[in-house]
Amino acid sequence: MYLSPALLVFLVFTIGPALFVLYISFFNWNLLNPSLSRFVGGGNYSALLHSSDFWNSIVTSVYFVGATVGGSTVLGLGIALLLSRRGLVRRIARLAVLTPYFTPLVATSIVWVWIFNPQFGLIDSLLRLAHLPEVGWLQSTKWAMPALIVYTLWHDLGFTVIIFLAGLATVSGELREAARVDGANYWHEVRDVVLPQLVNTTLFVIVITTVDSLQAFTQIYTMTGGGPLSATTTTGFLLYQQSFVFYKTGFGAAIAVVLFVVIALFTLLQLRLSRRAT
Amino acid sequence: MQRHRRFIAIAVVFAAVATPLAASAATAGQRAGVTISFMEAMASGTQKPTLDDLTRNFEQTHPGITINLIAEPNYGVLQQKEQASIAAGNPPTIGQAYENWAAAYADAKAIVPLDNYVNSKKVGVPKTFRSNIWKGVWNDLFLPDGKIWMWPFNKSDYVLFYNANMLKAAGLSVPTTWARYATAEKKLTTGGDWGESLDTGTLSAPANGTLEYLSIVRAFGGTWIKNGKPTLDTKAAVQALQFLDDLKAHGALQVGTNYPEQTALGAGRSAFAVSSIAGYPYMLAAAGGKFNMQVAPLPAGPNGGQGNAMAGTNIVIFANASTAQRAAAWQFMKYLSSPHATAYWAIKTGYLPVTKSALVYMKKYIATHPYQKIAAQALQYAGGNPPYAWWTQAEGDVAEAMQAVLDNGASPASALATAQQKAMQAASNP
Repeated sequence: MYLSPALLVFLVFTIGPALFVLYISFFNWNLLNPSLSRFVGGGNYSALLHSSDFWNSIVTSVYFVGATVGGSTVLGLGIALLLSRRGLVRRIARLAVLTPYFTPLVATSIVWVWIFNPQFGLIDSLLRLAHLPEVGWLQSTKWAMPALIVYTLWHDLGFTVIIFLAGLATVSGELREAARVDGANYWHEVRDVVLPQLVNTTLFVIVITTVDSLQAFTQIYTMTGGGPLSATTTTGFLLYQQSFVFYKTGFGAAIAVVLFVVIALFTLLQLRLSRRAT
Repeated sequence: MQRHRRFIAIAVVFAAVATPLAASAATAGQRAGVTISFMEAMASGTQKPTLDDLTRNFEQTHPGITINLIAEPNYGVLQQKEQASIAAGNPPTIGQAYENWAAAYADAKAIVPLDNYVNSKKVGVPKTFRSNIWKGVWNDLFLPDGKIWMWPFNKSDYVLFYNANMLKAAGLSVPTTWARYATAEKKLTTGGDWGESLDTGTLSAPANGTLEYLSIVRAFGGTWIKNGKPTLDTKAAVQALQFLDDLKAHGALQVGTNYPEQTALGAGRSAFAVSSIAGYPYMLAAAGGKFNMQVAPLPAGPNGGQGNAMAGTNIVIFANASTAQRAAAWQFMKYLSSPHATAYWAIKTGYLPVTKSALVYMKKYIATHPYQKIAAQALQYAGGNPPYAWWTQAEGDVAEAMQAVLDNGASPASALATAQQKAMQAASNP
């Protein structure tokens, strides 16, 4: 009874629309005039499985998710370990690492578009100083995705660092001290004492950053528009493109359903792994 | 029986009272007039106060008609709002729309054709007025069914901005053909400077560079569509893309994003920029008085062919509007295209007048802003977005072909063949 207001809001604004997306994924949906929509059964899902754009987007998503999740987990943990000790300099460094996370994605994406600009950007200016050839970072199919990943890591790393710092605060000081007394160096202490106690934190970071990466949109929209030649069109961006640029709403809904299933499966896997670890 | 009598008596009394009440309400409604809503994206700079002025003037000269302007921040939001309102069954009376939006709206039976209004002896426009509308603008009002679905409002097209100081220093005159343009760009590519920058755009968002290329295709004798199908891989299209690729290979053309043509010209690094005339104030701001920035018509093709892309929108009437609202909306649309109003709009905003006769009212302005006449005259042959919903994707396919060629080493013929194949697929699966 006490839950009913919250449940109602959840039903109306989350469950209801989600079920509606599932419903329209079975139609050639006319967004402007639903009465002209045509039932196509599993037609959109069949088209999806035969669509090279969809499979390309899966490969692109795996590239983007793998690099951002791997990068933010490894770098996040490394930076957290460096910053976990006390001291003014480390506090300032923590703030510096965390600050990009609080900046608006659109605004900082545009700044990075200029940093990557081949004629006027900072990076190519440095390359020219070093007598190296210019690179069209956001125009090249080879470099657009790495550029996007660099920006995403720069923006999101602060979040994973904070999570790891919180995890490190719970690591038993006594165990670490005991390891040191037994002659373990810093690396051994981290590997044998700290990391085993951070398994749950690491799994949490991996799941959260994976879900975030699968849903990444703003930086792709602002920096590359999914290009060049669909080199940065992730499945999430393809969903937007098909649904809201080309107005293939039923097809877009089918992508949304598949994306939902992938994210749900991944979350379930994490929960299972988490239980096993504990 | 008594109950029945009582009921009949009450009904008679109700009818006796209600009929005059209803009649007086209707009369009051007529006296109160009709209110229409106009969803538009003219919300920045001088556009908003100018549209407010025109609306106020219309309301004063047409008592009984009230216009509610619903301003949206940009075309993207405008399109979303219009579509959302159509889907919700509550669209505005009229709205700005590009040709391919109008095609989608018409397919969904969300807008009404205007032929009955345009051709009406009582409220239509005379033939002299029709011939007074620039040819390109007039052609742009039709959908493939041959009916008039749109009425012109804010129009612009593409021009060549150039750094007159750079041309003078190199002893060059303003190029009048694309061949001379290429020669000039190559000559000016020296000492870290280059000919021009452009943005190819992406599949989801074509840019000024896409429209520059499409203009060159037309100048080279090509088409964008024929018989309702895309024609992206014609000989002229391949030649036009090869033309740009040669400039790129020479270093005379640089590719970028976020209005690179404006940045490069403004920084004094490139000599030319092809952009919409509506961008004149932004170009001028970018130049910042550092050099003499001038405007010329787009160069001609090998056989003197002219090509230009028309930008800006028309106005459509949504189907949910009542008969009275439609009639009032037509009066307002007709007013906005009248020579006085369109001239005022052009002078204040930098958009182009949609009729030739408006230039008469702009003589003083054109004397100090000659580029307006240059751009307005190009409306004679400028082509608008083909009026098909699938053109949105086809234009994106063109942008991708440009990316493939200019930045990723593909040949123009193969890139355009791919674009054509994708566009054909989009056209056959609307």
